[in-house]
Amino acid sequence: MNEAIHPLARKTVVWHLAVTSLVLILMMIFGVIMLMNQGEMISITPQWFYKIMTAHGTGMVGIAALGGTAILWYFLSKYVKLNPAILIVNFVLFLTGVSMVLIAIFVFDFSDGWTFLYPLPAQSAKMYGAAGAVFFLSGMLVLGFGFLILYMYLAARLTAVYGGLGKALGWDIIFRGKKGYGPPAAVVATAMVIITNSTALLAGATVLAASLVNIINPAVTMDPLLAKHLTYAFGHIFANCTIYMAVIAVYEVLSEYTKRPWKANKVFLIAWNCSTLFTLMIYTHHLLMDFAVPKWMLIIGQVFSYANGLPVMVVTAYGALMIVYRSRMKWDFASSLFFLSMFGWVAGAIPAIIDATIVVNHVMHNTKWVPGHFHTYMGMGVVAMIIGFMYYFNKTEGNQEHRGIDTFTIALYFVFYGTCGLFPLCRRNQCTKKMVRTPAAMGAVRPGRRSQRNLYRSGRNHLHRKIFSGLRYVGSQVPYQKNQQLAEK
Amino acid sequence: MYQQIAMYATVFFVFLLALAFAFVYGESKRSGEYSTIQEKGYKIRKFYFLGLIAIMAFATVMTLGRLPYDSNQAEAEGLNEGKVVKVTGIQYAWEMSEETFKAGDKVQFDVTASDVTHGFGLYNENMELVAQTQAMPGYTNTVYYTFKEPGTYQILCLEYCSAGHHVMVKEIVVEPEGGASDE
Repeated sequence: MNEAIHPLARKTVVWHLAVTSLVLILMMIFGVIMLMNQGEMISITPQWFYKIMTAHGTGMVGIAALGGTAILWYFLSKYVKLNPAILIVNFVLFLTGVSMVLIAIFVFDFSDGWTFLYPLPAQSAKMYGAAGAVFFLSGMLVLGFGFLILYMYLAARLTAVYGGLGKALGWDIIFRGKKGYGPPAAVVATAMVIITNSTALLAGATVLAASLVNIINPAVTMDPLLAKHLTYAFGHIFANCTIYMAVIAVYEVLSEYTKRPWKANKVFLIAWNCSTLFTLMIYTHHLLMDFAVPKWMLIIGQVFSYANGLPVMVVTAYGALMIVYRSRMKWDFASSLFFLSMFGWVAGAIPAIIDATIVVNHVMHNTKWVPGHFHTYMGMGVVAMIIGFMYYFNKTEGNQEHRGIDTFTIALYFVFYGTCGLFPLCRRNQCTKKMVRTPAAMGAVRPGRRSQRNLYRSGRNHLHRKIFSGLRYVGSQVPYQKNQQLAEK
Repeated sequence: MYQQIAMYATVFFVFLLALAFAFVYGESKRSGEYSTIQEKGYKIRKFYFLGLIAIMAFATVMTLGRLPYDSNQAEAEGLNEGKVVKVTGIQYAWEMSEETFKAGDKVQFDVTASDVTHGFGLYNENMELVAQTQAMPGYTNTVYYTFKEPGTYQILCLEYCSAGHHVMVKEIVVEPEGGASDE
């Protein structure tokens, strides 16, 4: 049991994890509904499809952040005394924000995606009424405010205990030649997330507020390209940082299980400082197809997206391999998931890095490659860490025990997300019914029922012998009209 | 070509990654002195790090000279001497100043939008995405493409633009060089 954590905070962590679990199940159901609709096993209207898509995207990023926060708070409490009231405030504001977002989507029909790309909310407000957009954007503001309060508090605590965020990131060791090890990994990661996510939240708040003002008074406008920069500075960084919070559990638990220290040496600290800087810079890879953006900025998007993979691949994932190697570690639900989550993190990052190459992005931006990447990254990385932590937490604070079926569920879970990662392989003749249409990041297309049956039949016949030839069609999409032509033939 | 490279590269690197994790998992059942493992591991890491840097540097050098929005390169390849077509995205249609082309046409698409952000994605007859740019109100993005093969091409919206996004598709006909299509 973690004696250092305040009992009230421990209870709040439970609430964080409970909400994360419930929403995760709901989001998985939403994902399956979308797939079933695309496979024509069920039929929902496009409006409902896009509403569910909006809820799915917003909800998944939201609970990844909520679960990551629970992990961060739980382990940071071992090193820094924290006031549970802040965690409770974060939780209440999260629930308030989520409620507003759900009302926006399911009561007022808001369906502009979790990216709410300006000026789309204002345009939708004209067609469907302002209430949906106002509820959604305000709900996101409330959510962001809750996290910003948390980070400001944590920044104050790290400053009080370690003398500033720079020292928490080990600057005195990197730049001033101080000997020894830096602060615990949980502290280093927290400092990184404070810097990056606070920046993200301020960028997000700016574009959210501007969008709201634009809806209320259309005369007040914002440059769409600037809005897009702010949106992805918010969205990419915030989604990316969920794993930098969750990985704290991997450091702590693998170290405990292997009885080996995972200390913050100089290379470790340099890696986390690089991650801090690069994570702030690389959101521009979302704008690689905005040719109006200065070329130097887009080249930064490519080069630093490559570079951002290095700290993970060379230090964090490699460190996990090294600490487990010949450790005689006990393999249970938590250690298995944490180990596999490091695989999932890197396996999800590889296609993202490749897609950040401008010439590749030119023929793959916003195709099924994108959900392929982030379902691997989120499902096999972040969510695997969160579920691993749930087990660890229940084992440490309760009486959870590993059972045989747990090993089976881990295998099943990774096969499920491994299949999600295969989205980009799917093309008309190589697809099974379930895989035939997967929405691109924000580009769902719903094929007709008759064409879908044809696709299924041809896919079933061709799947086995053409699986590898399917690799040639990565990034392509099957449009509605094309399916109709196929069906007519 | 780039789509194939991306796929094979991903499969290759993820396979290597899986091998590494499987190897370490297999070795986790044995015991070893951690300080010795660390010493050897850090030595291997240096080469691993340099190897990754080399791969990334190679990819950077090979790709940055072929940027799709490089007007200098378009000029060098004569792409900007062809037709200029104005394209406007609007919920949920594509308005184009010209819709019929011939194989061999070098086309400069000047793409914008009149309401919200759309994505201009040009697909060939095999439904392979061959070029794209974003269509954004207030900005004009120029993308160059040479129609090498005749056939029916399609423009799909590749940026979610609200409830009719999936119907925002336009067909354009590229006739064979020197004559109309047989069909």
